[in-house]
Parts: sequence; structure tokens; C-alpha cells
Amino acid sequence: MDILINALEQMFTPATAAFAIAAIGLNFHFGLTGLLNMGQAGFMLLGMYGYAISIREGLPMWLALLVAMGAAILFGLLLGWPTLKLRGDYLAIVTIAASEIVRYVGRSNTLVDVTGGSLGIKGKDYKGPLEELSPFPDERLSVGPFTYHGSASDSWWLRVVAWSLVALLLLVFWRLSNSPWGRVLKGIREDEDAVRSLGKNVYWYKMQALIIGGVIGALGGVIWAHGSAVVADAMGRPTTFWVWTILLLGGAATVLGPVVGSVVFWAALSLVRAVAKEFIPESILPSTAIEPFGLMLVGIALILIVVFRPQGILGNKKELAFHA
Amino acid sequence: MFTRPDRRFYRAAALLLVAAAAFVIATLVIGGGPADAETVEPVAAGTSTATLVIQNVINGLAFGVLLALAAVGLSLIFGTTGLSNFAHGEQVTFGALLTFFLSTNEQVTIPLVPGSFTIGLPLWLAAIIAVIVSGGTGWLQDKLLWNPLRKRRVAVLQQMVVSIGLSLALLNMLQWWMGASRHRLTNASGGRITFGDFYIGTQTLMSVVIASIALLAVALFLLKTRLGRATRAISDNPALAAASGIRVDSIIRLVWVMSAALAGLGGILLALFDNGAGFDSGARILLLMFAAVTLGGLGQAFGALVGALVVGVVSEVSTVVIAPDMRYASALGILIIVLLVRPQGILGTKERVG
Repeated sequence: MDILINALEQMFTPATAAFAIAAIGLNFHFGLTGLLNMGQAGFMLLGMYGYAISIREGLPMWLALLVAMGAAILFGLLLGWPTLKLRGDYLAIVTIAASEIVRYVGRSNTLVDVTGGSLGIKGKDYKGPLEELSPFPDERLSVGPFTYHGSASDSWWLRVVAWSLVALLLLVFWRLSNSPWGRVLKGIREDEDAVRSLGKNVYWYKMQALIIGGVIGALGGVIWAHGSAVVADAMGRPTTFWVWTILLLGGAATVLGPVVGSVVFWAALSLVRAVAKEFIPESILPSTAIEPFGLMLVGIALILIVVFRPQGILGNKKELAFHA
Repeated sequence: MFTRPDRRFYRAAALLLVAAAAFVIATLVIGGGPADAETVEPVAAGTSTATLVIQNVINGLAFGVLLALAAVGLSLIFGTTGLSNFAHGEQVTFGALLTFFLSTNEQVTIPLVPGSFTIGLPLWLAAIIAVIVSGGTGWLQDKLLWNPLRKRRVAVLQQMVVSIGLSLALLNMLQWWMGASRHRLTNASGGRITFGDFYIGTQTLMSVVIASIALLAVALFLLKTRLGRATRAISDNPALAAASGIRVDSIIRLVWVMSAALAGLGGILLALFDNGAGFDSGARILLLMFAAVTLGGLGQAFGALVGALVVGVVSEVSTVVIAPDMRYASALGILIIVLLVRPQGILGTKERVG
């Protein structure tokens, strides 16, 4: 029973929301436009740094959010400029390389005064402004089986903010993907040359998609930072791959896919860990092996989804986003 | 796409040498940055920047040759199948960890098998077995995964995401198997050979010699044997190759075996060079391998060598100016800059790539 409650809890954590947001961003890249952005973790990390450092230096929260989004816009411009004219896998390699550069630079000792090196930035340096806005009392509250603090860190307040943001971004995605603009992006995904022959500036449309998705990724990073802390190594390549698994699991190019994917992903991962811990004896699966064991299953799940159900849980087989 | 080294090759090589020289000179001029004191293997204190740069070039060339050996398989697979294989890093790790598993005197375990035991083979024998088993994993992978995917006509980008899933699964499997700590293949310190102000470790020198021989063998295979010619034909045009009677599937199977075995060997030699290997050492250099392959020109077998030498030298020499924990960032930065000015890579032919 505890296992089930725990899994239920995992469905609505701020981290689940943060990954859903990052996957919505990736849905603009991959689902709508067919861009292979393998550096979504880099966008998230830049958003986290932009936000946390601005607040630590005394800027107000709305300005810090603008800084986070601005960092993502610059990063998107920088990445898109050389690669959006090239074949798809070039973008994949460059985005993954660039997001690793962000991580290397962030964790480097050279910049320890700015980014906090590999230890990162502590929550108390940047969580204040959002927590002060909380209408909830400053104590632990229980609703049913769930108990969290009202407003500090991993709190009810953060859950409300995070999931409201998810709802808002879903609305944005739904409206944009059905707009004339979204239809051009889908056209680029299906047949770039056809869209180009209609006189559309394909390069610039791709750039817009890359930037919008990246900005949304940065917002996901800000939410994630509020739930835990700003640490460069938490945003390595595995994070990008999880976001991909979430998007493909839920269904690329669908509105609700990223959210369904994220909820199912984190609940399933929690279930697997708990069940493995409970029912497999220590001599066969030592407790240090449970984490890699769970993540190994994530990898296998990703392979199976892509091979057998590339449209994901919600997707439409006709609107497959994989085009070579 | 695999062409004989011709005029173009020499022109590109000359260009590269000039660029490398310019880079070294620029570093010498800017030189003497904050990182002097904490380079990975500091030369005796008080040495000039020039000595430091040249020592780093030597280290970088050694690292580049080993990286080339690990990366050549990535390039071969891309050339023949069009797949950017993200699971290649784990093949590199696997070679190193299997060698450790077979040769160490410590207790080792296998996941899901209770109890621990010692195998303790001599290092050379363990390495040979590890390379053969690595090749076997390549065979198995193509048999069970990639060949069926090609048969189902799964798009190349979809296969790429499959390889990402495979990489995630293998990485965690390796961590499960070997734990999170680093393992040393040998405890012998090896000593070093000095010439003038410079030195190279004996172990490193031996690794470089072995890697060079293996690279030469690959080059001879591609240029001189019928199978090698068939491989190049498939890279050029798979349909035409099939029509002229080449068994495309068996050649691709062979390429998988070769590239997995070469990656395994590269992993073992890199572990000797790097004083050990952990479950993520291949994953760490995966992007450097991609950088090498892309720099040289995607799918150009000899491009991987040229690209890897550039990546090796740039990442080591850059430690003169920037902090050593950012040296891989500089190599990846070079990748992005090269894609800006010459997207087909150093050796690639000028064709439309987008």
C-alpha cells in the first residue's frame, strides 16, 4: 500500500511537473518541427543559472525570470545559427555538445564564485521571492495521505505554481500548434522542401521553434531548481534522454503527451524501485544496484517504445514525427 | 565515401598542420594563463610556457591516436548504415571493464549471480579475450537489434533514438556490474621516457604503438582487401553495391563486429593511458568521439583519425590557458566552430548536407 501511495505521490511532485514542462518544450522542437534537440538539459540548466544567480544578486523575481528566458533565447540563437541549415543529426550532435559545454563550464572551479562550481547554488540563495508569495501557512499540512510543507521548498505552494504553469503551457501549445504558424512547422516536419517552395523562410521558422521550446525548457529548469537545488551535474545527458523518453512515451506532437509521459514515467520508476527493493532479496540485487537497475529499465523501455509504438501512448500513427 | 588519400587529403592535412601551428603559436603568445600550476601532469615548476605547450602537444597527440582508435568504429558504422550510434561509448567502457574483470586479483561478481570469485588472468590475455568478446557483442547487437530494425525499414533517426536508449541501458548495466568506482587495469607505474625537457610514459607509448598498428591494419583492410573495398562500396551507395552482388547485410555485420572490437581495444588502451576506467569513462568521451568523427567529415574513415588528433591536441593544449576541468569543453567548442565554417568536416567532400 505504501508503495502505491508513494507512486501516486511521485505523479504530482514539482520534479514531475518540471520534466513535463521540459517535454512540452521538446514537443515544439521534435513533435511540431521534427528538430532533434539533444540538449534540452542545457536549456534547463541555463534557465536555472539565469534565475538563481539573478535573484542571488538582488534582482526582483520577474526580472530573474526574464534573465532565465533571455539566456535560453541566446543559447537557441547560437545553436540554431550554424546547424539549422544542416542535416538533422548535425543539430543533434551540436546541441548535445553545447549542453555539455554549459555543464562543464558551470561545474568548473574557475567560475566557483558565480555558479558555485560542482556543489552548485544553495536553495536559500534564490527560493525566497517565490516562497514569500505563498498564500499557504508556514507549516506542514496534510491532505489525505500526503503531507508537505505549506510554502517552503518542496511544498504545496510549489505544486500549485508548477502545475498551473504546466496547464498554461499546454494551452499555449494547443493554440500555437493549431495556428497557421503551427501548421507551417508541421509542414516543415513533413516535407521541408515543399514548404520552402511555398516561399516560407524555413530556416527562420525552425529558429523560432527552437527558441520557443528552449525558453519553455528553461522555465522547466526554474521549477526543478525550486524543488531541489541548482547543481550542474543533475542536468547532464541522462536528463535530456529522460525528457526524450517522457515525450516519446506520452506521444510526440500530441497536446497532453508530455504530461501523461512525465506522470507515467516517474510513477513507473518509483514503482520499479520500490518493488525491486521489497521483493528481490539483497543477495541478488544489493541496495546500491537498485538505482542503476531502474534506470536500465528506462533505457530498455525507450528502445521498446521507439521500435514498437513510436507514436507513444496518445499519439496518432499517421502523425509520426520520425522522418529521415 | 571512403576515398584513397589523394591530393585533397594532402591539401587538407597541410591546412590542418598550419591551423595547428597557428593555434600553438597563439597559445604561446596568450599563454601563461591561470591554469599553469594545475595542469594534469605538471612539468617541473618554473618551465617556460613553450615547454609546457609542447609537452601538452605530445600528450594530446597520444590521446588523439587512442581516441581515433575508439572512434573509427563510430565512423565505419555511420558510413555504412547512416546511424549515429550513441551506444558506442559503452562499447569502449565494456572493453576496459571486461579486461579489469578478467585480470584483477580482487574479488569480482556478476549481476544476479550470488557469490564472488577471482579470475586473475595475465593482462595481455585478458585484453585479447576482452577484444574478442567485444567483437562478439557487436555481432550480437547487429543480429538481435540493428539488422531487424533495418529489415523493418525503421528510419535512421528513429534508430538513433534506439541507440540512445541502448546507451542508457548499457551504462546502468555497467554501473550495476562494476559499481561506481574507478578501476585500474595495472598497478605497475611503468616509468617514463625522457628526451630533453619532455617525457612520455612507457605505458602511454606502448598504447600509442598498439593503437597505431591497429589503425594501420584498418586502413590496409579498407584500401587493399576485397572486403574493405566492398565496405567502401556500401558507404558510397548501398543500393548499387547490393545490385553488383555485394552481400550488404553480411558486410554490415562485419562492420559492427569490427567497430565493437576496435572500440573495446580503444577502451583498454585509454584505460592504460588514463590510469583506470569507470562505468562512465566511455560515456565521457562519447562526445569527443563524435567531435572527432564530425570534424574529420561524417563517415570518412580517415577523417576520424585527423579529427581525433585535432580534438586530442586542442583539449590538452587548451589547459595551458583555461582550467583543466574545462578542457573537453574547448574541444566541443572547436566542433561547433568547424561546423560553422566547414560543415562537411575537414576531409569531407563539399556536398549539400541540409
